[in-house]
Amino acid sequence: MSDSHAPKFSYQPALPIPNGKTCLWLFLSTEIMFFAGLIGTYIVLRFGAVAWPAPHDVHLSEPIGAFNTFVLICSSVTVVLALEAAKLNQASKAKGWLLLTFLLGCVFLGVKLYEYNAKFSHGIYPVRPHGLVYDKADIHYAAAVRKRLNDLKTDLTNTGAAVTPDDQARITVIDDVMRQVDEAEAAIRNEPDSPAGVIKLMELAYQIYPPHDHGTVLQAAEAGAVPPAALVKFAALEQPVAGEAANSQNAEREGLNEKYPWLRLPIMIPGGPMWASTYFLLTGFHALHVLVGLIVFALLLFKTLDRSRANVVENIGLYWHFVDLVWIFLFPLLYLF
Amino acid sequence: MSDRDQHSEVGHDSHEHIAHGGNGKYIAVFIALCLLTMGSFLTYFPFWREHVPYQASRALMLAISCTKAMLVIMFFMHLLWEANWKWVLTIPATFMSVFLMLMLVPDIGWRINNGYARYSEERWVYAANPQKIESSDVKAAEKDLSREDTH
Repeated sequence: MSDSHAPKFSYQPALPIPNGKTCLWLFLSTEIMFFAGLIGTYIVLRFGAVAWPAPHDVHLSEPIGAFNTFVLICSSVTVVLALEAAKLNQASKAKGWLLLTFLLGCVFLGVKLYEYNAKFSHGIYPVRPHGLVYDKADIHYAAAVRKRLNDLKTDLTNTGAAVTPDDQARITVIDDVMRQVDEAEAAIRNEPDSPAGVIKLMELAYQIYPPHDHGTVLQAAEAGAVPPAALVKFAALEQPVAGEAANSQNAEREGLNEKYPWLRLPIMIPGGPMWASTYFLLTGFHALHVLVGLIVFALLLFKTLDRSRANVVENIGLYWHFVDLVWIFLFPLLYLF
Repeated sequence: MSDRDQHSEVGHDSHEHIAHGGNGKYIAVFIALCLLTMGSFLTYFPFWREHVPYQASRALMLAISCTKAMLVIMFFMHLLWEANWKWVLTIPATFMSVFLMLMLVPDIGWRINNGYARYSEERWVYAANPQKIESSDVKAAEKDLSREDTH
């Protein structure tokens, strides 16, 4: 019996695409899982948290986030147009589109830095000692405020020089806040079963850093951070003000940290520390990916982007689209949810 | 075989470019992405928040994000025109990431503050305030105490 009529199968040793593209897709599939893990963890922490800050409480601007989304979408289009130009052997056109992509990526990172700076300037960092955020106004918070006040006062009085009127004004502010800390701590010590001490601490915390967004106090109350007895009092702080009275009332609601930037007292944002950790982790890893993309773009700008390099442009384009893809999910999750 | 040789074999030429419909489709996708982003951003405005429940807004935003992601993957990443090899890489990665998310669902269920006091003791220690005692629990405790007194 002969097997000369047996069908012959041609064995395909690899995927029918260039090796570089295969590697890039394999890399992207691991990246999908990496970001799926990060975003999944964020969802668990976000929706399992007792309290979560509203965007304005942590100086998060939705229009800026939307603008950055627009910038990334534009950069996705320009990189795909660079690829099409390279495929058609239009090297200078391809380079022009790639340069535009590079610039748009820089704009994205610049806006991100501006956003980070807005948080850092208010003491919102993921970790201490730079981070000033506390979850609740408890004895630990009071101790942190006291320590900061003591440090400030020591710096002002231990210089050896005569106290200037400016320094005296600062000392008066410090003493005033210290008096409130003393009263709150005394109330907690003398009446441990009464909410009076906690209410005093809450008053102090909102004086240092008032709630910036509607619903923040109610959410804090649901989480148990605001004693029921003080809910009406604190809820009045966060009611949105409209009309002519807006400016004067908003000025009244300016916190001590904003009024006296040198104070930099610890602030209370329910859910704030967890928010800062997840926000900086997610956006930080994303920004790192953007940075890597920008470095590759910068290197490619020195090459001739003709048809022979179309596969390289395609690979970096795939990576860049993935970066855009991640932001498509991060924007609503971090800014709008 | 080098990447460049393979590339010329696979062929990305002007014919393919024309077959994909030129650059017009990319501009169309770009406009669609911008409109969809505006759709998500609508949820930011007070008039939307006043009239639409937040659960509906969140569902809408997720739906919009998934649509945008599909547009980017299909058109910008060219998966619409790729051969069947695309399934080899994308299906396992999608399964793994969906599975990863599903594995976290019980965690959300156990951690979420749904009124049934499912928080662990450790979580309550670091939460904003100690766990509230339900009035039914207080009554049950009072009953137990009164039983102990009678014995």
